[in-house]
Amino acid sequence: MYDTKANRWIGLLYLAPALLFVAVFTAWPFVQMLWVALHSWSLITPPKFVGLGNFTRAVADRQFWVSLGFTLQYTLLITPILMIGGYLIALLTVANTPLRRLTRVVVFLPVVIGLGASSLLWYWLFSTDHGYINRVLLDLGMIAKPIIWLGVDANLSNWAIIASVVWKVIGFGMILFVAAIQAIPHEVNEAAMVDGTTTLQRILRVTLPLTLRTVLLVTLVSVIGSLLAFDQFYIMTAGQPRNLTATSVFYVYLNSFPYLKLGYGAALSLILAVIVLAFTLVQMALTRRSHA
Amino acid sequence: MTRLTTAAAVAALLIGMPLSAAAQELVMWERSGGNAGMVDALVAAWNEKNPDRKINLTYIPHTEMVPKLAQAIASGEVPDLMGLDLIYGPQFASAGQLEDISSYFAGDATIATASPGHVQVATYDGKLYGVPLYADVSALFWNKDLFRKAGLDPEVPPTSLQEVHDMAAKINGVEEGVYGYYLPGNCAGCNIFTFGPLIWASGGKIEPLDANDEPLTGDNLIMVLEWARTMHKEGLINPSAQAENGETFHLAFGSGKVGMMGTGNFNITLAREQNPGMDFGITLLPGIEKGSTASFAGGDIVTVPRGSKRVADAVDFMKFILSDEVQLEVYAKMLNMTTRGDMTENAYFAAEPLVQDVAKAIEIGVTPYTLKFFELINSPQGPWLQMLQRVYYSDEPIDQIVADTKEQMKAIAAE
Repeated sequence: MYDTKANRWIGLLYLAPALLFVAVFTAWPFVQMLWVALHSWSLITPPKFVGLGNFTRAVADRQFWVSLGFTLQYTLLITPILMIGGYLIALLTVANTPLRRLTRVVVFLPVVIGLGASSLLWYWLFSTDHGYINRVLLDLGMIAKPIIWLGVDANLSNWAIIASVVWKVIGFGMILFVAAIQAIPHEVNEAAMVDGTTTLQRILRVTLPLTLRTVLLVTLVSVIGSLLAFDQFYIMTAGQPRNLTATSVFYVYLNSFPYLKLGYGAALSLILAVIVLAFTLVQMALTRRSHA
Repeated sequence: MTRLTTAAAVAALLIGMPLSAAAQELVMWERSGGNAGMVDALVAAWNEKNPDRKINLTYIPHTEMVPKLAQAIASGEVPDLMGLDLIYGPQFASAGQLEDISSYFAGDATIATASPGHVQVATYDGKLYGVPLYADVSALFWNKDLFRKAGLDPEVPPTSLQEVHDMAAKINGVEEGVYGYYLPGNCAGCNIFTFGPLIWASGGKIEPLDANDEPLTGDNLIMVLEWARTMHKEGLINPSAQAENGETFHLAFGSGKVGMMGTGNFNITLAREQNPGMDFGITLLPGIEKGSTASFAGGDIVTVPRGSKRVADAVDFMKFILSDEVQLEVYAKMLNMTTRGDMTENAYFAAEPLVQDVAKAIEIGVTPYTLKFFELINSPQGPWLQMLQRVYYSDEPIDQIVADTKEQMKAIAAE
């Protein structure tokens, strides 16, 4: 009855603004990027068609793989911290008492700060000569001389940045976990208590399974965010030392803008997009399985 | 009705005023760095004389200058004037992205005496695309107070890298936090400006001119790199300099905690402002052989990006900064290099021996001419800085480091 031709047109009309938005701001730029990736394209000189040359070059580009490896390492290190940390804070603050609510607000506050601003804040906190972190460690006698946190040792830099990002985004996961845990019916927990379960057993056997979809969702968002990390590394290390902390997106940026190789940058972006898509598909499959 | 008309008139006035004021402003971009005071003074002098076409000056972080300008060109939203690190002149001029200003300067006497290095890189295919905005030359600054405390003759600066090492060793630690020498560990531009001359003075060459040219050559190149490693290994350079990315490089000497360092003429005024009581001298940057010297002749040119609608006004600013009055009352008065060779003999310089010392560097200054300067040398992620970091802070064999860097530089030059 409702499936008439006229109704279908009306439906399309309702969808039109969203479709137009996606077409103009997502689909068309994507097609353009594909086109750019097939060219040697500097911003200041006319483009030259090179076919798949940019892609074959990326395969042989050592720095691209170094950057990808570092990005994966960063993702593997930070994701469990964000997940486990966020979940633990959620468990500790899930009850709606005033103090726990305040704690949630305090943990969530950095989420609303821009990543650029927070990276700059931490850049100065980690400053060798003027930073509070070295000052505190020196005053407590934990170190004998200031530590150069950023841009000298790749691992140290990575951990310093991880600390800053965890501070910045852990509240996001926490708030979603709190919502998911609060949505579990009381009866389920009460039944488990009647059965004589311990708190740990209830968390592992009741809370965690019933919030698994949220856990997977937050993991997906966190993994994609980490694979596309840029601001924090650009501001805090600029890829130093020796490009060992140059993430994949940083390397894309470097080629596209400072080196003015827009075509090569577009090709690298596409390769990265395929990798992110693969991660997303795996996680979506896992989510579906958990739902089933 | 009258009230409505009045309201509309007031509204039109309020909206129109800033618009008309903004419409007459010239927009200028300039890279950030130690010369900001100099450029501020030039713009202030222009604005005072030209209240109807003031310049609105914006500083761009120096590492962002090339991408920012390229994006502006690609989007058509260009400034009217662009202060450009002179080494990028060939790259942008050859790409046809700068306005040809040759006709405006035909028969102009001031351009004939303008700094030859600047004019050379601002000229492409016989056409002029810019004029000098300011000149920077690198030289060795030495802190006479620290020399005295270390028992060294404060009037005798080093004349070879070995002497730099020996004097630095004596100065190190004469006071808490004092180090003999300074090399910035995370700044490609600072190093080509101050470490490059040590290689040139020793007969070495750094960047390739093109794909067929061999980079990093010269018998003494390895010795210079070994010298730099020794300076670090022996603790003669503050370890925190490893994180110096150029943002505070120009403040290092004025801190009074550095015995000697390569820096530029701009540091004379800055060091005096920072540390008025400090006694210091300036000499040429030495090489391996005693008495060998070199300098980087750098600075900025001011150009008009293609697409500017205010070319005539922009050229007027160029002529203004080359005029006798500005050369004397702005450049010379601030103890900066004059950008015209015929203006160096003036009362301000005569009263300031340090400026005369640093002016000697102009005669031996080297300005690299390459279309790939950023990628080869100036990029914080480029092969030049990577090489230096491996030399300064690792134990890898220097031969291997040089071989790797040659390969990277050749690959970039071949693109």
